[in-house]
Amino acid sequence: MTQKKIKLELKGITKFFGKKAVIDHLDLKVYEGELFAILGPSGTGKSTLLKIIVGIEEPDSGSVFLDGKDITNLPPNKRNIAMVFQSFALYPNMDVYRNIAFPLKIARFNKADIDKKVRSAAKLLGISEVLSSSVSKISGGQKQRVALARALVRDPSMFLLDEPFSNLDARVRFTAREELKRLQKKLNSTFIYVTHDQRETSNITSRVGVLNDGKFQQIDSFDNLYNFPQNKWVGDFIGNFPMSFIKKSDSISWGFRPEWASIHRGNLSAKLVTNELAGDINYWLCETKEGSMIVLRGNKPREVGSKISFKLNKYNIYKNGVFLKQGR
Amino acid sequence: MEIKTINKIKKIVLYAVAILVAILFIYPLYILLLVSFSPTTVTLDKLLPSQLPVKLTLNNFISALTQYNFVGPLFKSLEVAFMVGAITLAIAIPAAYGLSKLNRRTGNLIMVFLFIANLVPALIIAIPISVEFIKAGMFDSPLALALAQSLFTLPLATFILLGSFRTIPKDLENQARVDGMGLFRTIYTMLVPMAKAGVAAAFLLSWLTSWDEFTFAVILSPLKPTLPVIVYINITEGSLIQAAAFAAVVSIPVIILTIVLQKYIRGIYLTGGITG
Repeated sequence: MTQKKIKLELKGITKFFGKKAVIDHLDLKVYEGELFAILGPSGTGKSTLLKIIVGIEEPDSGSVFLDGKDITNLPPNKRNIAMVFQSFALYPNMDVYRNIAFPLKIARFNKADIDKKVRSAAKLLGISEVLSSSVSKISGGQKQRVALARALVRDPSMFLLDEPFSNLDARVRFTAREELKRLQKKLNSTFIYVTHDQRETSNITSRVGVLNDGKFQQIDSFDNLYNFPQNKWVGDFIGNFPMSFIKKSDSISWGFRPEWASIHRGNLSAKLVTNELAGDINYWLCETKEGSMIVLRGNKPREVGSKISFKLNKYNIYKNGVFLKQGR
Repeated sequence: MEIKTINKIKKIVLYAVAILVAILFIYPLYILLLVSFSPTTVTLDKLLPSQLPVKLTLNNFISALTQYNFVGPLFKSLEVAFMVGAITLAIAIPAAYGLSKLNRRTGNLIMVFLFIANLVPALIIAIPISVEFIKAGMFDSPLALALAQSLFTLPLATFILLGSFRTIPKDLENQARVDGMGLFRTIYTMLVPMAKAGVAAAFLLSWLTSWDEFTFAVILSPLKPTLPVIVYINITEGSLIQAAAFAAVVSIPVIILTIVLQKYIRGIYLTGGITG
């Protein structure tokens, strides 16, 4: 594998809100041409992190490097990083065309160039027919495209997107994800986007950084986040159900996903608390002898309170809550 | 049925009170206009002057405008009022922008402190300021008067602008910065036009405050007076008719401006965004 070029690097970024460090000595490397997702529960400073990268917020300490250059003290207009805000932030006093043209006008492009760039961006995003509409008269999906078009006209060195899908209808959301991936491939540019919904990361990103307590708990592909969560918190956060843990000793515990266990008179057992039907698969929420909740998978509901024996085909070994190795 | 009648009664009472209050405000103005447009034979010379116009004349205006220096004070008033509007906006816009960046609580607290100048009687501030202006050789200068009057217009203007800036979504400002605008350009070409109603309200209220202002004007600028001071001089000298004519001249632009620009001076721009 060839050595990938680092596009953006964060070193020791810390940001306080009052006395609380929302971002705490955070490090990150994002590579050229990557579609990188920042995933975390709400209120963990994901948007703040994007604002630090783009230059709207100043970090209390730490540095931001773009293409190897320290840009920590540059104002946003000198950074050439595009950002699409969660609200899309279209200028209400301008029509679609003038919204897209705005960054070019600021950069003093001549009229003919602006027109060419605006029209090609609009064509790329399929919004040519709404160019003369008012921004209040177009749909949520179109608003997002306008915001994206406005971000890409000036050929920025990278893109930041804050919760890009949260303001879209559930129906459009699925296709919007695929379109974002296609757009990123086409532009061959670096994208970072923020989301609190893991379904928005699983199939389109190269890597996902899971943010909590001001730090990346783990930066990895989604598969690895699911299969090898580096600590109990990531195990809990990723997946439809939190990872199940069985305590083995004071410091050692085993973690597993529902599909890693088979229900055939195994050496382990637990008491059924609730049946949960998810599509055609049934999940059993069970309680073990030690009192921890685990999730098992079976084909039909069983009586609450019944004993279920199972064995683990594979499991992760955690020492003091941190991933050690996988056992079988 | 019953609720309908109650609502009707409520409405009638409400309108009655509103009309009463309106009369309370309009009546003195009506008398002022009546006196200034009527010959003295039907007003000053009568023991019980008529409340309705009997005879109309422009003589009062003609004598007031010819016997006294009218043009000088008019231009002085206009000059000072526009200066006050400009100085106020020049200072209040950046001040309000700064306050809008703070968290709401801190911003509101500082705003309250800014109003302290308005709580103190004008004289207490006017006398030491006049001393300083005399020392600086700015006695009777329009700029000195405008600066002094701005002391009182600034807090209110800042309050109005703070409210307007707060209603602009933060993302729009951030977007303008990301799209390549510097901070000053963002404030003056993005935020100010978006807050234009608030800017207009702040300018007009400052303009009107200065136009009506008396205390500073009489202390700082007695030799080349403004219109309110001329009215005062006429009253003290006993030429009540001329005073009324001048007073009418002073009030008319205020009334016209208030009516024409009413939509900008409506409550929402004056709440400072606190209820919004």
